[in-house]
Amino acid sequence: MAVLELDNLSKRYGGTTALRGLTLQVEQGSVYGLLGPNGSGKTTTLGLALGVLRPDGGSVRWFGQPLSSQSKRRVGALLETPNFFPYLSARQNLLLAADVKHADPATVDTALELAGLTARQHDAFRGFSLGMKQRLALASTLLGSPEVLVLDEPTNGLDPQGIAEVRELIQRLAAQGKTILIASHLLDEIEKVCTHVAVLQRGELRTAGPVRDILAASDRVVLRVEADLNPASLLHALGQLTWVSDVRPETGGGHSAVLAPGHTPAELNRALFASGVVLAGLEVRHRSLEAQFLELTK
Amino acid sequence: MLLRAELRKILPYRTVWVILLLFVGLLAGFVSVGSNVQINGQQLGNTLYAFPELWPRLAYVASYFNLLLGILLIILITDEFQFRTFRQQVIDGSSAAGLVQGKLAVSALLAVFGTLAVLAVGLFFGLTRSPETFGRSSETIGAVPLYGIQALGYLALAALLGFLLRKAGPAFLAFLLYAWLVEPLLRFATPDHIDRYFPVKIFDSLTPTPGQELLSTVTGPSTALLPPQAAPIALAYIAGLWLLSYLLIRSRDL
Repeated sequence: MAVLELDNLSKRYGGTTALRGLTLQVEQGSVYGLLGPNGSGKTTTLGLALGVLRPDGGSVRWFGQPLSSQSKRRVGALLETPNFFPYLSARQNLLLAADVKHADPATVDTALELAGLTARQHDAFRGFSLGMKQRLALASTLLGSPEVLVLDEPTNGLDPQGIAEVRELIQRLAAQGKTILIASHLLDEIEKVCTHVAVLQRGELRTAGPVRDILAASDRVVLRVEADLNPASLLHALGQLTWVSDVRPETGGGHSAVLAPGHTPAELNRALFASGVVLAGLEVRHRSLEAQFLELTK
Repeated sequence: MLLRAELRKILPYRTVWVILLLFVGLLAGFVSVGSNVQINGQQLGNTLYAFPELWPRLAYVASYFNLLLGILLIILITDEFQFRTFRQQVIDGSSAAGLVQGKLAVSALLAVFGTLAVLAVGLFFGLTRSPETFGRSSETIGAVPLYGIQALGYLALAALLGFLLRKAGPAFLAFLLYAWLVEPLLRFATPDHIDRYFPVKIFDSLTPTPGQELLSTVTGPSTALLPPQAAPIALAYIAGLWLLSYLLIRSRDL
C-alpha cells in the first residue's frame, strides 16, 4: 500500500519552476531517499507533501486520502531547519509540539532522552548548538510515535558520531516497520539506509525505484582471460552477444561490460565458454550511488 | 488544547509580561495624575473619580492604550513567522484555521485582560478617591464591556496586519499609520454619513470623548454613532477582519 502518493505535482516561485509534474509513490515500510543537488526541488517536494506550500498543480495523498490534520498527525516531519521558540526551553518546546500533535505529554521525557538532552532540558533553545537543535528536532518528530517520518537533511550540523547515531536511529525505526522519507545530498548516507531512491534535478524526476535496481542497472562485469589468450577472441565473442553492451578496456588489464536487464554473470560465463573463451576471472563491480548519481545528473 | 498550546507560548515569554505591566502601569499612572489637571484655574481633584462618570472617562482613556495590546499581538504573530513555528505547527497537524483560531483566542485573552485592568483601575481609584459615589457605579458600567469590544476590534486589525506583513516592524508601522493617519485622511475625504462607518471610527465610537455633549455645543453635533449603535457593527468588523486573516493564511505558502 502506498503511504504517500504525489501525482503530477508542480510548483512555481514567481517565474522559476521549482517542481515540474512530479509523480512519486512511497510504499509502506520503505526507507525512501530523495536525492538531488542543491536547488533540485527536494525541500519543495517535502513542503508540498506536508502542506506548508500550495501546489500550482497536481495532488498529494497520504494513506489514500487527501492531506488533513488527521493524516498529518500520523507523520513526524523535520523540514529544512529545526523550528522552535528560542525563548522556550527544550522541554517547553516539546510539550508544545506534543499539544499540537495531540501526543501524550508523557512521551516528551523519552524524546528528550533519545536526543541526549535530558540534562539540558530546562535550557532555552536559543543557547543550543546546531547539533543539539537538530537532535531536538529529530526527537520532536518522534513524539506520538508516528507511522511515517519525513526527514529533510536530518544529519545537518551533526558531527560524525551524531551522523552515525542518526543512521542507526533510522535503521532501528525502519526495522520497527516505520516508513521513512529522507531527503539528503549525503549519498553515502542514503545508500547505507535506503531501500528506495528518487533522483531529482532542476525540479524534474530523473529516476525512481528500489536502490538495488538503480544500482544494478549500471553494474559492470569485469572479465579477465589468461595472459596467453588473445584478447581479440574475447572481444569477438562479446560482440556476438546482443545483450552485452558498452565493452571497455579496464586499467590493469581485462575488459568490462554492461549486461542487459534479466541477464546474469553466470549466463555470460556460460556463453563465453560455449564460444571457446575461458575466463580466468569474472567479477561484478557495483557502482556506488555517488557514481550513479553523478551520471544521472550530469 | 488550542488555548493550552497558546498559553505554553505566552506564559514564559517575558515580552508579554513587560507589555501587559506597561499597559496597567501607564493606565493607572495616567489616571492618577489626572486629578492634578487644572481647568479654569481649578484642580479637577477627586471629582474626576466620581461615579457614574468614572467608567466612560476611564474607557476613553484606556482606548489610547489599545495600541499597546495591538503591538503585543503583532509581536506574537510575526514571531511565529520569524521562528517558522507556524510552519512547524502546520507540519505537526494544525490547519490554517487552527493557526488563526489560536491567535483569536489570544486576542480574546488580551481583551479580557484589558477589560479587567480597566475594571480594577476604576474600582481602585473610585473607592479610594470618591467612595461616596460608589452607589452610582453600576449606572455606567456598560462602558467597560464596550471598551472590551473596542480592544477586540483593534486587536483584530493588528492581527490582520501581522498575518499580512509577517514582519514586526512593517506591521507596527502599518497599524499605527492606519489607525492614526490613513483612515482619518480617508474619512476627511468622505461624506460624514459614510465616514462614521469606517472600522477605526466605529471602534472609537464605542468609547466617546467624555463631555461630548458639551463639545457638541461648540463644534456642532458629532456625526459618530452612539456606542450601542456602533457595537454590532464593530462585532461584524471584528468577524470580517479575522475571516480575512484566515483567507490570507489559507491561500499562501508558509
